[in-house]
Amino acid sequence: MPGRLQNKVALVTGGASGIGRAAALRFAREGAKVMIADRNAALSQVTLDELREITPHAAAVPVDVSKTDQVQRMVDETTSRFGGLDILVNAAGVLLLSPALAEIDERDWDLMMNTNLRGLFLCTKFAIPEMEKSGGGAIVNISSMAGISAYARSLPYAVSKAGVIHFTLGAASQYTSKGIRINCIAPGTVDTPQARGSSGSADALRKIAETHPMGRIGSPEDIADAILFLASDEASYISGETIIVDGGSRTLPPNI
Amino acid sequence: MDKLKEIAKRAVEDYGFRQIAQWSPDDLVDQWGLSDDEAQVLKGPLKDEIDQLPVPVEPADYVVVENRLNALIEESLS
Repeated sequence: MPGRLQNKVALVTGGASGIGRAAALRFAREGAKVMIADRNAALSQVTLDELREITPHAAAVPVDVSKTDQVQRMVDETTSRFGGLDILVNAAGVLLLSPALAEIDERDWDLMMNTNLRGLFLCTKFAIPEMEKSGGGAIVNISSMAGISAYARSLPYAVSKAGVIHFTLGAASQYTSKGIRINCIAPGTVDTPQARGSSGSADALRKIAETHPMGRIGSPEDIADAILFLASDEASYISGETIIVDGGSRTLPPNI
Repeated sequence: MDKLKEIAKRAVEDYGFRQIAQWSPDDLVDQWGLSDDEAQVLKGPLKDEIDQLPVPVEPADYVVVENRLNALIEESLS
Protein backbone atom coordinates (compact mmCIF):
# COMPACT_ATOMS: atom_id res chain seq x y z
CA MET A 1 0.00 0.00 0.00
CA PRO A 2 1.54 3.33 -1.05
CA GLY A 3 2.37 5.81 1.67
CA ARG A 4 0.73 9.15 2.10
CA LEU A 5 3.78 10.85 0.61
CA GLN A 6 4.78 8.14 -1.85
CA ASN A 7 7.63 9.33 -4.09
CA LYS A 8 7.32 12.91 -2.92
CA VAL A 9 10.60 14.75 -2.39
CA ALA A 10 10.79 16.38 1.02
CA LEU A 11 13.40 18.76 2.39
CA VAL A 12 13.44 19.17 6.16
CA THR A 13 15.56 21.88 7.72
CA GLY A 14 16.59 21.31 11.30
CA GLY A 15 16.16 17.68 10.35
CA ALA A 16 18.87 16.23 12.55
CA SER A 17 17.02 16.45 15.83
CA GLY A 18 13.77 17.23 17.58
CA ILE A 19 10.70 18.05 15.52
CA GLY A 20 12.61 18.09 12.24
CA ARG A 21 14.02 14.64 12.84
CA ALA A 22 10.61 13.24 13.78
CA ALA A 23 9.08 14.73 10.64
CA ALA A 24 11.83 13.33 8.44
CA LEU A 25 11.39 9.82 9.87
CA ARG A 26 7.59 10.06 9.54
CA PHE A 27 7.90 11.20 5.95
CA ALA A 28 10.26 8.35 5.11
CA ARG A 29 7.80 5.82 6.53
CA GLU A 30 5.14 7.34 4.27
CA GLY A 31 7.22 6.77 1.15
CA ALA A 32 8.88 10.15 0.71
CA LYS A 33 12.39 10.75 -0.48
CA VAL A 34 13.92 12.79 2.31
CA MET A 35 16.73 15.31 2.46
CA ILE A 36 17.58 16.51 5.95
CA ALA A 37 19.43 19.79 6.31
CA ASP A 38 21.09 20.84 9.52
CA ARG A 39 24.17 22.69 10.69
CA ASN A 40 25.02 19.83 13.04
CA ALA A 41 26.68 17.48 10.58
CA ALA A 42 27.51 14.83 13.16
CA LEU A 43 23.94 14.55 14.40
CA SER A 44 22.69 14.65 10.80
CA GLN A 45 24.66 11.49 10.12
CA VAL A 46 23.01 9.75 13.07
CA THR A 47 19.56 10.69 11.81
CA LEU A 48 20.50 9.78 8.25
CA ASP A 49 21.47 6.31 9.43
CA GLU A 50 18.01 5.99 11.00
CA LEU A 51 16.37 7.17 7.79
CA ARG A 52 18.30 4.67 5.71
CA GLU A 53 16.91 1.86 7.79
CA ILE A 54 13.54 2.95 6.39
CA THR A 55 14.41 3.98 2.85
CA PRO A 56 17.40 4.15 0.53
CA HIS A 57 16.06 7.51 -0.67
CA ALA A 58 17.49 9.68 2.07
CA ALA A 59 20.37 12.10 2.25
CA ALA A 60 21.73 14.91 4.37
CA VAL A 61 23.24 18.27 3.59
CA PRO A 62 24.95 20.63 6.02
CA VAL A 63 23.40 24.08 6.14
CA ASP A 64 23.23 27.24 8.16
CA VAL A 65 19.86 28.51 7.00
CA SER A 66 20.84 32.12 7.61
CA LYS A 67 23.46 31.94 4.84
CA THR A 68 22.21 32.53 1.31
CA ASP A 69 24.87 30.51 -0.48
CA GLN A 70 24.37 27.52 1.80
CA VAL A 71 20.61 27.56 1.37
CA GLN A 72 20.95 27.77 -2.40
CA ARG A 73 23.29 24.80 -2.34
CA MET A 74 20.90 22.88 -0.06
CA VAL A 75 18.04 23.26 -2.51
CA ASP A 76 20.28 22.49 -5.49
CA GLU A 77 21.56 19.29 -3.89
CA THR A 78 18.03 18.20 -3.07
CA THR A 79 16.72 18.67 -6.59
CA SER A 80 19.77 17.21 -8.29
CA ARG A 81 19.72 14.15 -6.05
CA PHE A 82 15.99 13.45 -6.05
CA GLY A 83 14.79 15.13 -9.23
CA GLY A 84 12.62 17.89 -7.78
CA LEU A 85 11.14 19.29 -4.61
CA ASP A 86 7.58 18.77 -3.43
CA ILE A 87 7.66 19.46 0.31
CA LEU A 88 9.63 21.84 2.48
CA VAL A 89 9.50 21.74 6.26
CA ASN A 90 11.07 24.80 7.84
CA ALA A 91 11.94 23.37 11.24
CA ALA A 92 15.34 24.98 11.79
CA GLY A 93 15.23 27.42 14.67
CA VAL A 94 17.03 28.57 17.74
CA LEU A 95 15.95 29.85 21.13
CA LEU A 96 18.26 31.99 23.21
CA LEU A 97 17.05 32.93 26.66
CA SER A 98 16.75 36.67 27.11
CA PRO A 99 16.46 39.13 29.95
CA ALA A 100 13.82 41.87 30.00
CA LEU A 101 13.56 43.96 26.85
CA ALA A 102 15.75 46.87 27.94
CA GLU A 103 18.61 44.48 28.71
CA ILE A 104 18.41 42.35 25.57
CA ASP A 105 21.72 42.15 23.73
CA GLU A 106 21.34 43.25 20.11
CA ARG A 107 23.62 40.39 19.10
CA ASP A 108 21.18 37.86 20.54
CA TRP A 109 18.30 39.55 18.75
CA ASP A 110 20.18 39.25 15.45
CA LEU A 111 21.11 35.62 16.02
CA MET A 112 17.51 34.60 16.58
CA MET A 113 16.11 36.67 13.75
CA ASN A 114 18.80 35.41 11.38
CA THR A 115 17.94 31.77 11.94
CA ASN A 116 14.24 31.89 12.71
CA LEU A 117 13.10 34.47 10.17
CA ARG A 118 15.86 35.14 7.65
CA GLY A 119 16.45 31.40 7.45
CA LEU A 120 12.77 30.74 6.92
CA PHE A 121 12.68 33.39 4.21
CA LEU A 122 15.74 32.07 2.39
CA CYS A 123 14.68 28.44 2.43
CA THR A 124 11.23 29.32 1.15
CA LYS A 125 12.59 31.75 -1.44
CA PHE A 126 14.82 29.12 -3.02
CA ALA A 127 12.36 26.25 -2.67
CA ILE A 128 9.41 27.94 -4.35
CA PRO A 129 10.86 28.11 -7.88
CA GLU A 130 11.59 24.38 -7.72
CA MET A 131 8.03 23.66 -6.61
CA GLU A 132 6.65 25.84 -9.38
CA LYS A 133 8.58 23.77 -11.91
CA SER A 134 6.70 20.66 -10.82
CA GLY A 135 3.32 22.37 -10.62
CA GLY A 136 3.06 22.89 -6.90
CA GLY A 137 4.06 21.74 -3.46
CA ALA A 138 3.54 22.07 0.24
CA ILE A 139 5.48 24.08 2.79
CA VAL A 140 5.09 23.60 6.52
CA ASN A 141 6.62 26.19 8.81
CA ILE A 142 7.26 25.57 12.48
CA SER A 143 6.26 28.45 14.71
CA SER A 144 5.57 28.15 18.43
CA MET A 145 2.95 28.98 21.00
CA ALA A 146 5.51 31.60 21.98
CA GLY A 147 4.55 33.35 18.76
CA ILE A 148 0.92 33.54 19.85
CA SER A 149 1.06 34.10 23.59
CA ALA A 150 3.41 36.31 25.55
CA TYR A 151 6.68 34.51 26.25
CA ALA A 152 8.75 36.30 28.85
CA ARG A 153 11.77 34.02 28.68
CA SER A 154 12.74 35.28 25.24
CA LEU A 155 11.02 38.19 23.57
CA PRO A 156 13.15 37.93 20.41
CA TYR A 157 12.22 34.27 20.02
CA ALA A 158 8.54 35.05 20.52
CA VAL A 159 8.65 37.88 18.00
CA SER A 160 10.46 35.70 15.47
CA LYS A 161 7.87 32.94 15.89
CA ALA A 162 5.04 35.43 15.51
CA GLY A 163 6.79 36.45 12.31
CA VAL A 164 6.71 32.86 11.12
CA ILE A 165 2.92 32.88 11.39
CA HIS A 166 2.57 36.10 9.44
CA PHE A 167 5.16 34.98 6.91
CA THR A 168 3.03 31.89 6.34
CA LEU A 169 -0.07 33.94 5.71
CA GLY A 170 1.66 36.38 3.38
CA ALA A 171 3.49 33.71 1.42
CA ALA A 172 0.29 31.69 1.07
CA SER A 173 -1.48 34.75 -0.30
CA GLN A 174 1.10 34.88 -3.07
CA TYR A 175 1.57 31.23 -3.95
CA THR A 176 -1.58 29.26 -3.14
CA SER A 177 -2.96 30.16 -6.56
CA LYS A 178 0.18 28.62 -8.05
CA GLY A 179 -0.41 25.29 -6.37
CA ILE A 180 1.89 25.78 -3.41
CA ARG A 181 0.16 25.39 -0.07
CA ILE A 182 1.94 27.10 2.79
CA ASN A 183 0.92 26.32 6.35
CA CYS A 184 2.27 26.56 9.84
CA ILE A 185 2.23 24.67 13.11
CA ALA A 186 2.50 26.33 16.50
CA PRO A 187 3.60 23.68 18.98
CA GLY A 188 3.39 24.05 22.72
CA THR A 189 6.17 22.66 24.86
CA VAL A 190 7.70 19.66 23.12
CA ASP A 191 10.31 17.30 24.46
CA THR A 192 13.20 18.26 22.20
CA PRO A 193 16.87 18.90 22.94
CA GLN A 194 16.09 22.61 22.57
CA ALA A 195 13.29 22.47 25.14
CA ARG A 196 15.35 20.40 27.54
CA GLY A 197 18.30 22.68 27.10
CA SER A 198 16.31 25.86 27.55
CA SER A 199 14.24 24.70 30.49
CA GLY A 200 17.04 25.52 32.90
CA SER A 201 16.97 22.08 34.48
CA ALA A 202 15.48 18.65 33.97
CA ASP A 203 13.23 19.32 36.95
CA ALA A 204 11.72 22.42 35.32
CA LEU A 205 10.55 20.44 32.32
CA ARG A 206 9.02 17.79 34.59
CA LYS A 207 7.05 20.50 36.38
CA ILE A 208 5.66 21.78 33.08
CA ALA A 209 4.48 18.26 32.31
CA GLU A 210 2.85 17.89 35.72
CA THR A 211 0.65 20.95 35.16
CA HIS A 212 -0.24 20.10 31.57
CA PRO A 213 -3.89 19.12 30.91
CA MET A 214 -2.69 15.84 29.43
CA GLY A 215 -0.13 15.24 32.14
CA ARG A 216 2.71 15.33 29.66
CA ILE A 217 4.40 17.67 27.26
CA GLY A 218 4.30 16.99 23.55
CA SER A 219 6.58 14.58 21.77
CA PRO A 220 8.28 15.42 18.50
CA GLU A 221 6.16 12.67 16.98
CA ASP A 222 2.98 14.50 18.04
CA ILE A 223 4.11 17.45 15.97
CA ALA A 224 5.34 15.28 13.11
CA ASP A 225 1.83 13.84 12.75
CA ALA A 226 0.46 17.34 12.21
CA ILE A 227 3.28 18.19 9.81
CA LEU A 228 2.53 15.05 7.83
CA PHE A 229 -1.12 16.00 7.58
CA LEU A 230 -0.35 19.49 6.27
CA ALA A 231 2.25 18.15 3.84
CA SER A 232 -0.06 15.46 2.47
CA ASP A 233 -2.91 15.63 0.00
CA GLU A 234 -5.30 15.22 2.92
CA ALA A 235 -4.74 18.93 3.52
CA SER A 236 -5.20 19.84 -0.14
CA TYR A 237 -7.77 22.54 0.71
CA ILE A 238 -5.75 24.14 3.52
CA SER A 239 -3.33 27.01 2.95
CA GLY A 240 -2.22 30.01 4.97
CA GLU A 241 -3.33 28.27 8.15
CA THR A 242 -1.61 27.95 11.52
CA ILE A 243 -2.55 24.90 13.54
CA ILE A 244 -1.91 24.94 17.26
CA VAL A 245 -0.62 21.61 18.58
CA ASP A 246 -0.24 22.09 22.31
CA GLY A 247 -2.23 19.28 23.85
CA GLY A 248 -4.85 21.71 25.10
CA SER A 249 -2.50 23.89 27.13
CA ARG A 250 -4.60 26.94 26.34
CA THR A 251 -7.55 25.37 28.10
CA LEU A 252 -5.82 25.95 31.40
CA PRO A 253 -7.20 28.87 33.43
CA PRO A 254 -4.93 31.91 33.54
CA ASN A 255 -2.39 31.75 36.32
CA ILE A 256 -3.27 34.95 38.21
CA MET B 1 40.04 36.47 26.75
CA ASP B 2 37.16 37.99 28.67
CA LYS B 3 34.89 37.82 25.63
CA LEU B 4 35.68 34.15 25.20
CA LYS B 5 34.95 33.48 28.86
CA GLU B 6 31.61 35.24 28.50
CA ILE B 7 30.81 33.13 25.45
CA ALA B 8 31.71 30.00 27.40
CA LYS B 9 29.49 31.06 30.28
CA ARG B 10 26.58 31.66 27.93
CA ALA B 11 27.17 28.30 26.28
CA VAL B 12 26.92 26.59 29.65
CA GLU B 13 23.79 28.38 30.81
CA ASP B 14 21.85 28.79 27.55
CA TYR B 15 21.48 25.79 25.25
CA GLY B 16 20.42 27.92 22.29
CA PHE B 17 23.54 30.02 22.58
CA ARG B 18 25.56 26.85 22.95
CA GLN B 19 24.28 25.66 19.58
CA ILE B 20 25.43 28.88 17.96
CA ALA B 21 28.88 28.45 19.52
CA GLN B 22 29.06 24.86 18.32
CA TRP B 23 27.70 25.14 14.83
CA SER B 24 27.93 28.80 13.76
CA PRO B 25 31.06 30.01 15.54
CA ASP B 26 31.91 32.45 12.78
CA ASP B 27 28.78 34.40 13.66
CA LEU B 28 30.13 34.85 17.18
CA VAL B 29 33.62 35.68 15.92
CA ASP B 30 32.13 38.51 13.87
CA GLN B 31 29.60 39.70 16.42
CA TRP B 32 31.92 39.66 19.39
CA GLY B 33 35.00 40.86 17.53
CA LEU B 34 37.16 37.94 18.59
CA SER B 35 40.84 37.90 17.71
CA ASP B 36 42.25 35.19 15.46
CA ASP B 37 43.66 33.39 18.50
CA GLU B 38 40.35 33.56 20.33
CA ALA B 39 38.53 32.31 17.24
CA GLN B 40 40.82 29.31 17.05
CA VAL B 41 40.18 28.44 20.67
CA LEU B 42 36.42 28.82 20.17
CA LYS B 43 36.41 26.51 17.17
CA GLY B 44 38.94 24.07 18.62
CA PRO B 45 39.45 23.12 22.25
CA LEU B 46 36.50 25.09 23.59
CA LYS B 47 34.10 23.52 21.09
CA ASP B 48 35.43 20.09 21.97
CA GLU B 49 34.55 20.73 25.62
CA ILE B 50 31.20 22.32 24.87
CA ASP B 51 30.27 19.32 22.71
CA GLN B 52 30.55 17.14 25.81
CA LEU B 53 28.27 19.20 28.05
CA PRO B 54 25.01 17.63 29.22
CA VAL B 55 21.66 19.06 28.08
CA PRO B 56 20.99 21.08 30.12
CA VAL B 57 23.84 21.81 32.49
CA GLU B 58 22.11 21.87 35.85
CA PRO B 59 22.34 25.26 37.62
CA ALA B 60 24.10 23.68 40.57
CA ASP B 61 26.92 22.70 38.22
CA TYR B 62 27.39 26.06 36.51
CA VAL B 63 30.31 27.26 38.61
CA VAL B 64 32.31 24.06 38.35
CA VAL B 65 31.81 23.76 34.60
CA GLU B 66 32.49 27.44 33.93
CA ASN B 67 35.66 27.34 36.01
CA ARG B 68 36.84 24.36 34.00
CA LEU B 69 36.18 26.14 30.71
CA ASN B 70 37.83 29.33 31.95
CA ALA B 71 40.95 27.38 32.85
CA LEU B 72 40.94 25.82 29.39
CA ILE B 73 40.65 29.24 27.76
CA GLU B 74 43.48 30.68 29.84
CA GLU B 75 45.70 27.72 29.06
CA SER B 76 44.89 27.82 25.37
CA LEU B 77 45.61 31.54 25.04
CA SER B 78 48.76 31.60 27.19
